[in-house]
Amino acid sequence: MNIMLLYGTETGNAEMLAEDIMAELDGDHDVECRNLSDFAPDEFDRSRLHMIVCSTYGDGELPASAQPFAEALKAAAPSLSGIHFAIFGLGDSEYEETFNFGSKGLAELLASHGAVQIGERITHDASGSDMAEDLAFPWAARMVALAEEKIGENA
Amino acid sequence: MSRAVAIVGSGPSGCYLAQALLKAAPELRLDLVDRLPVPYGLVRYGVAPDHQGTKGVIRQFERLFERQGAGFVGNVAVGEDVGLDDLRAAYDAVVLAAGLSADRTLGIAGETLEGVHRAGRLTRALYEHPDAEPLPELGPRVIIMGNGNVAIDIVRLLAKTPDELAGSDLGPVPSAWLAGSGIEEIEIVGRSPAAAAKFDAVMVKELAKLEGVRIRVLGAGASDDPEGAKKIAALEAIDGHGAGPRRITFRFGLTPMELAGEGGRISEARFQDAQGRAIALPCSAFVTAIGFGAEGVLPRDALIGSAADREAGVLAPGLYATGWFRRGPQGTIPDNRADAQLLATRILADLEAEGTPAQKPGRNAFPAWARAVGYEGWKRIDAAEIAAAPENRCRVKIASRETMLALALQTEECPQ
Ligand SMILES: Cc1cc2nc3c(=O)[nH]c(=O)nc-3n(C[C@H](O)[C@H](O)[C@H](O)COP(=O)(O)OP(=O)(O)OC[C@H]3O[C@@H](n4cnc5c(N)ncnc54)[C@H](O)[C@@H]3O)c2cc1C
Ligand SMILES: Cc1cc2nc3c(=O)[nH]c(=O)nc-3n(C[C@H](O)[C@H](O)[C@H](O)COP(=O)(O)O)c2cc1C
Repeated sequence: MNIMLLYGTETGNAEMLAEDIMAELDGDHDVECRNLSDFAPDEFDRSRLHMIVCSTYGDGELPASAQPFAEALKAAAPSLSGIHFAIFGLGDSEYEETFNFGSKGLAELLASHGAVQIGERITHDASGSDMAEDLAFPWAARMVALAEEKIGENA
Repeated sequence: MSRAVAIVGSGPSGCYLAQALLKAAPELRLDLVDRLPVPYGLVRYGVAPDHQGTKGVIRQFERLFERQGAGFVGNVAVGEDVGLDDLRAAYDAVVLAAGLSADRTLGIAGETLEGVHRAGRLTRALYEHPDAEPLPELGPRVIIMGNGNVAIDIVRLLAKTPDELAGSDLGPVPSAWLAGSGIEEIEIVGRSPAAAAKFDAVMVKELAKLEGVRIRVLGAGASDDPEGAKKIAALEAIDGHGAGPRRITFRFGLTPMELAGEGGRISEARFQDAQGRAIALPCSAFVTAIGFGAEGVLPRDALIGSAADREAGVLAPGLYATGWFRRGPQGTIPDNRADAQLLATRILADLEAEGTPAQKPGRNAFPAWARAVGYEGWKRIDAAEIAAAPENRCRVKIASRETMLALALQTEECPQ
């Protein structure tokens, strides 16, 4: 599977997790890992699975590195039909009312432009007892399996 | 041949800088020197004990030592145990990421009265910093002067019930101190209007979760500025919250004029409002939370004052500064990350431009560091703290330097 692994981060946790997921998937798959701040909306590719790891900051907002991407997407308003993405969120249940709103908002934004979400959005809680990778590795494996059905193994 | 870089201070700025440097140049010989036997600076001793999620960045910093080859040189104070010039002679680049830990003072009459405290000192005592003074007696009426996130942290902790501290790493002594504090009233006073307050709206919103308080907000005013309006909206939302025994009052636009007392102990704080009227608030303790400055072991202000390029963090050839030490006491953990990433690019470019000078000895120039605390030594302290955590706590910090050192150095002849 050809995978574009994207992360949106403020304090670096999502970046570290994305690198860990990349190390986990690399070898079996063709993975490129990039900060959302270095990714333009016209780089989405129908033949790829886009896996996104994104935190939440401020009061339920996107983290700093995802904000320029979201702005660019809103401004360019491209059609993302035929684009597949899966998304994993980092957050903290101390912020009950806005728990993981960053990844939620990003998923909604992509869907509103026609992109198709694969699987469910899984979230990590910084105040919980799980390690992010213990949730994210099985998630990544499931998403790749689902995407292989949808996008096709040879994509 | 690899270049040697020493970072003075292992707080978030030092760690993020090391991360960015080693990511781009894994062959660097890089050491983080800290005056404490434990790493991570204010992530351990500033970020509130009930904000464990924020401390999650430590997992990134552990990788520096566990995978990326950085060295930890703990219990070595630069400027005391080792001279800055000696460090500069031994390393290709030295970066000062030593933070700012001295509390700023108001400079008004009465600040030396008993019962007048400073936020940095108080939080160090609460969070069991090895150099902390004992926790003070606050009495029933506490005024917190200042409108930053640190002031809100103090309000929240002083107001919390014992149950509300479950899951934190607040130690048994500070926990007992809080439970028996007898505080009835906490007033938080800002010099500026609410719209210009430095705290984040989300810090204010969090207060609405407190069960043992009743909150009132006086004179929050209005604002056209969206950032200001957000803060005012958060304040309005918590105004009237709760019916608990402790009252929290927010006041704004009050300039402190004088602290007054009887028998050497504070009993009243005197302010002037925007209209020039005198306002007196009775209190049993007064805590200033108005920012931080340099504490003196390193000549910070002189170094920053004569910096070759202060914005870029270049003090002199081969000498750099980042984080609070460079910028002043503003900015949260992510600001330090952004700052450190820019500086890493600059340092690597400078090293590159120098060509290939003779190999510098790095840590080998300091045989005395064999008795410093290495990362393995810190991990022994860390493991002991986690293992000894009582129910409802995620860790119990070891507060004494001697105990830390005894644990850290027990089997270790030299730092890893
Ligand atoms: C009470 C408090 C609460 C805070 N809460 C939050 C929060 O919840 N979220 C957030 O994002 N930000 C918070 N901040 C801000 C955050 O802590 C700072 O932005 C950050 O710690 C600055 O990083 P630094 O590395 O520059 O300094 P520091 O974290 O202060 O690290 C400096 C390090 O240098 C060491 N050092 C000092 N002098 C020497 C010397 N001479 N030789 C060797 N080592 C030395 C110190 O021991 C320390 O380990 C808080 C700040 C305070 C004061
Ligand atoms: C100031 C601040 C605000 C935050 N706001 C939220 C929030 O509104 N909702 C949430 O779920 N998590 C919130 N978080 C938690 C972060 O999303 C969590 O710590 C995450 O691991 C950070 O990942 P990052 O380092 O990739 O940015 C906040 C954290 C901080 C420090």
